[in-house]
Amino acid sequence: MAVPLIRPRGLSPLARFVLSVLAFLPVTFAIWYFAASLILWPPALLSEWIARGGFGDIVRAVDQNGATLAFTTALKPGQTVAGGVITVDVNMLLYAFGLPLFAALTVAAREPHRARVLALGYAVLVPAIAWGIVADFLKNIAITAPIQVVTQTGFSAWQREAIAFAFQFGSLILPAVAPAVVWVLTHRAFLERIRRAPAA
Amino acid sequence: MIRFFAFFIGLLALLFGLELTPWAQDWFVVPWTTALARVSTWLVALADGGVVATGKVIRSTTNGFAVSIEAGCNGVEATIVLLAAMIAFPAPWKHKLLGLLAGIVAVQGLNVVRVISLFYLGQWNREVFEWAHLYVWQALIMLDVLIVWLIWVRTLPRVEGTRDPPPPSSPTPAIA
Repeated sequence: MAVPLIRPRGLSPLARFVLSVLAFLPVTFAIWYFAASLILWPPALLSEWIARGGFGDIVRAVDQNGATLAFTTALKPGQTVAGGVITVDVNMLLYAFGLPLFAALTVAAREPHRARVLALGYAVLVPAIAWGIVADFLKNIAITAPIQVVTQTGFSAWQREAIAFAFQFGSLILPAVAPAVVWVLTHRAFLERIRRAPAA
Repeated sequence: MIRFFAFFIGLLALLFGLELTPWAQDWFVVPWTTALARVSTWLVALADGGVVATGKVIRSTTNGFAVSIEAGCNGVEATIVLLAAMIAFPAPWKHKLLGLLAGIVAVQGLNVVRVISLFYLGQWNREVFEWAHLYVWQALIMLDVLIVWLIWVRTLPRVEGTRDPPPPSSPTPAIA
């Protein structure tokens, strides 16, 4: 004899999860914004390391000022301008909005070892953020700068194409997709429970 | 799961690369963005007659404020992410096609809400507009894609004998 399924009243686990995420998002966004100097320090360090290591002949100094990373270059503004160098300011928040999303998803899932998962996710997302920051800097000096600046960088046509793609991928895809991918990978058991749970 | 993610990321990079080609921009992205501007304007005009669309620009005829729908705000990238996630996930093609149809409607529907909300937020407060535009809506659209994908995965028929992730009774999280 078949036993009828007893379904819990109210919202499905997925609906409860979504509502929890929406409730936590303002909190995680607020923490992210007000603690940006600290949260974005590791991506800033990594970006500096990549910029100095990969483009040491162009980059003279990299300085973090809150959520802004300032790249001071050896590039001159133009042949007729005496003195002065090109500096590029990058708003790191543009490439880091996935952090509050990942945090809200993780906290809302209410899985064990949340702190460990948050730390792991942060560690994985730091390189993705650094990708966007460095690509933004390179796009500024190699593509959108005046031609007299672009020629000083020495980038070939295919290198400029690669920079354009890296910037587009690092600004339109990575910041949003990376946190979702990391969250799915770190919550497989939770997802399986959501999948098996009966609808409300 | 690893095979799914490898397929997903490869497909995502391929589709995104295709989207950036001049051909795709001319024949798909620009017409799509123009249509999005027109649909958004049509919806706004139901309550506010002082709005016109010119190409991908939505403009207020009362105060001159205008928003231009650029890459990242036209929902194309979000749709590409959803497309890659559904194609890469092991499921019957019928379910993939139905999921894509419903998913694209859900993602683009929320994107219309994003465009309209930004149009009015920009007229109200530029700082709030920037915040919503650059950070909040980006996260919400990705959350929308993730939720649509989760709902779709829930609707898939379960195949006996498939290798599933750990059972729900597992007390520890599965960390890849």
